[in-house]
Amino acid sequence: MSIDNANNQGLDNIDLESKNFDTEGKQIAGLLDAHAKRLSMRTLKQLENGRERAVKAHAAQVSGVSLNQGGTLSGMSAWAEHHRVASAGLVLVAIIAGFVLMQTLNKKESSDAFLLSADLPPEAFVDRGFEPSLNDGKAKL
Amino acid sequence: MASSQELSDFLRNVERRAFKQTVYAVRDDHAALDIVQDAMLKLAEKYADKPVAEYPMLFHRILQNTMRDYWRRQKVRNLWTTLLSSFGAGKDGEEDHDPLDSIDVEDESDNPMVQLERSQTIKIIEKAIEKLPARQREAFVLRYWEEMDVAETAEMMGCSEGSVKTHCSRAVHTLAALLEKQGLGSKVIANLGVMS
Repeated sequence: MSIDNANNQGLDNIDLESKNFDTEGKQIAGLLDAHAKRLSMRTLKQLENGRERAVKAHAAQVSGVSLNQGGTLSGMSAWAEHHRVASAGLVLVAIIAGFVLMQTLNKKESSDAFLLSADLPPEAFVDRGFEPSLNDGKAKL
Repeated sequence: MASSQELSDFLRNVERRAFKQTVYAVRDDHAALDIVQDAMLKLAEKYADKPVAEYPMLFHRILQNTMRDYWRRQKVRNLWTTLLSSFGAGKDGEEDHDPLDSIDVEDESDNPMVQLERSQTIKIIEKAIEKLPARQREAFVLRYWEEMDVAETAEMMGCSEGSVKTHCSRAVHTLAALLEKQGLGSKVIANLGVMS
């Protein structure tokens, strides 16, 4: 027998062996598959629930608005996930707006403090009769 | 883009197999259910725009990743459980048994001997599959149960086609040897498969 023939026979044996274990593997998998069709009622029900939830989520995704499991809108979070830079920018803008708002409130608080600490009663500042003298006072200051 | 009906049909077709495969991997029915439901939802939410032809690969990848996440979480949880149990934490009581858990869907085969033989064989195979190394189990499941070809399995597993063949061959040899030991040769398996 030549070396080539021997090699070819060796390859054929490997192929045959590979086909054999493929067949055996498929037979075992076939048994498992048949068994997988017989699950408990509870398991089947839960799988069905999961499937229905997934189909609802899919329908919501397709229509553009996704509802998450709690029933709240998750469209924004999905958007934020896809646009990380933009969402970071939005957070920055919100922080700056908050800071400006705090500053404005502080100014208001200081004017309130001025009214309360002034020699005149607070009512005097809303009384039109006191306006000229208050203006004089401000002008002197 | 797949329609909701196509997604529903696809999931109905794979959910039972996916559940059993996950049970073999995580050895916990409740966790397996959570993992499969989670994978279904992820597929629907993240890949709604993909055609239905891509779903099998995507779903199995999501399922494998969700299983890996579960194992990672389990590792951390086990660490804490070990730490806490050393401080004398009591063992939780067993969950109440629900009769629904034990009601199986009716077996089509009406021969009780065949049913018994098959269920015993399945138990042996399931035990053996649970004991297989994770990569061998994954290769076996994808190649023979999901009927993917070698190239698809290799792509799914992120390894070479040669590695897939090796994993499959080792898995089948282990299973066949175990079944042979129990007096269940390939002919018996083939017969049981035909009867199911």
